[in-house]
Amino acid sequence: MSEINNTTIPEIATIEEIKDEIVDVKTFYLSFDERKGGKAPQFKSGQFVMCTVFGAGEFAVSLPPSPENDRFHLTVRKVGKVTDALHELFAGDKVGIRGPFGNGFPFDEIKGKNVIYVAGGIGLIPLRSSIMHVMQNKEKFGRILLFLGARTPRELMYQYNLKDWKTAPGFETYITIDNPVPGWDGENGFVHTLLKKVDVPVKDTIAFVCGPPIMFNAVIKELTGLGISEESIVSTLERHMKCGIGKCQHCSIGRTLVCTDGPVYTYRQIKTLGEQI
Amino acid sequence: MYIIKEDQVTNIAQELHKEYQVYGPVLEKETRQTMFVKADDAGEIDLELPIPANPAKHVLFPQFERIMSYTYDRKNKKAEIKPDFDDAPKALFGMRSCDLSGMLCLDRFFLGQEFADEVYRNHRKNMFIVTNTCVEPFKQCFCVCTDSGPSAHEGYDLNLTDLGGEYLVEVGSDKGKKLAEKMSLPKAGDSHKKEKEKRVDRSVSLFDSLAKDNKAWISRVVNRVTTGLIDEKVWEYIGDQCLECGACTFVCPSCSCFNIMDPVTGADSADRMRTWDSCAYEGYSRMAGGHNPRKPVEDRRNKRFFCKLSYSQSKKYLRPGCVGCGRCAWVCPGDIGLPNVVTYIRREIQK
Repeated sequence: MSEINNTTIPEIATIEEIKDEIVDVKTFYLSFDERKGGKAPQFKSGQFVMCTVFGAGEFAVSLPPSPENDRFHLTVRKVGKVTDALHELFAGDKVGIRGPFGNGFPFDEIKGKNVIYVAGGIGLIPLRSSIMHVMQNKEKFGRILLFLGARTPRELMYQYNLKDWKTAPGFETYITIDNPVPGWDGENGFVHTLLKKVDVPVKDTIAFVCGPPIMFNAVIKELTGLGISEESIVSTLERHMKCGIGKCQHCSIGRTLVCTDGPVYTYRQIKTLGEQI
Repeated sequence: MYIIKEDQVTNIAQELHKEYQVYGPVLEKETRQTMFVKADDAGEIDLELPIPANPAKHVLFPQFERIMSYTYDRKNKKAEIKPDFDDAPKALFGMRSCDLSGMLCLDRFFLGQEFADEVYRNHRKNMFIVTNTCVEPFKQCFCVCTDSGPSAHEGYDLNLTDLGGEYLVEVGSDKGKKLAEKMSLPKAGDSHKKEKEKRVDRSVSLFDSLAKDNKAWISRVVNRVTTGLIDEKVWEYIGDQCLECGACTFVCPSCSCFNIMDPVTGADSADRMRTWDSCAYEGYSRMAGGHNPRKPVEDRRNKRFFCKLSYSQSKKYLRPGCVGCGRCAWVCPGDIGLPNVVTYIRREIQK
């Protein structure tokens, strides 16, 4: 935690720039008013923050920037009352931020391993931070693979990053679109079908999976079928959250709270907690 | 240990009134119910009243509470946030031991976990607690099953016990000792202590004949609830009786789920409010966009009883979450107060 305590009372941040990503999804670049140089608080890849839209409320959102040297930003889909209000804002407007909260991805444990990312639609947002981190420290990992699925080519997240990732050495990118569309000459079908078509490393491999529940379950079936163990499959969960500090209890799953025990869980944990995704 | 005459016992409340806002059991005239509320005049408090309909939870965790207020001026791109919560010193007078146990659960939950809750801490830090031993159990009580009564063991500043004509005043903290000395109460002797033990023993022995409503051998079900080895049909049976009113969670001394919202108070200002929430409500776990991971009502009831009875939750509270006050059974429009749920689960285990 930094010297500024924002666990209960948010600190004020300014929206510096807004970028349209895909339909209903925007990226907001923020600078922090009360910190030197507007720099963001230290965070770990996989953590989240609580973002206040003044006059509307507060919502929990994952952190897509890499923790090392990325501009601080939030990528938010317009999906309810508060996120609607956020999408109405312009550059220069203020928001409130609490956090970062949560456990983050287990990077120390995965050194030297092969890394698989499987993302469906906007499931790429919480994984981006981890992908950027792994890209910057490529020598510490084995093979790095990204499997990405979207409904249409226009719904592919972070197209400007995808361009770089596709050509980056030692980084394998596989993209699929649900149904054939004119102008798309890549793969078609759901993202789990890609796993069958590619020679996926199984030994010493960790898989990061994020996406809608249907996609998640199909991918898990495929990965475990390949022989990747349940402890090596990692996901980040979303839940209705109000406080972020383990008090309001809205995000409880089984005996754990997503905000303090999560949001990153292994599939083994998710399974034993006994609630649906 | 000190002694105070029965007709002078509310003098303690009068004394506290000089420094604290005093809360205590008061007979509400309109409804003729005992309520644990703020007493403007300490004389309204009556220690002989039955267990209050509401626990003292609302004093340190109010049903509606502002935690901050803010202004935002979109035109000039300015925002200002101000922490805004009540930290007046409060005294709880004549609290029952079950309610104190519930409060200690909340203490450990709000202050003892990874993060401490600032708002709660502000309510709690200047609090004076005077408990009242139950020398006779009430109809719905089962604190003997949950180790939270009939007399408080810890957490009080002063503990009162009716010895007939006079009250024994036990001291639990320096703050309590100071107050007793300030009032120059006469010291109690060994005979008074023995008399208290006798009265507590008698109270426990009366549970069989007086506390007829509830029996809850919770130790028999903790294991099953923790491991989840309970037939789904039992939860369905329980879920079928839940009307999703949330009353059980509101009267529970150890339930503390809350919601946060930002009601607009002016053209460019709003408050951040914290309000009680209940895991009984369908919207409790519904996310923006409509996805709800916990839809069936039995899943949600299962969650409440997991909170009260599981070992994992007990580790947070350092005791079972249920404190045996019996209020959930009292208010439930169905028949699924905690004691009955324990009975249903035990019945299934015995099969």
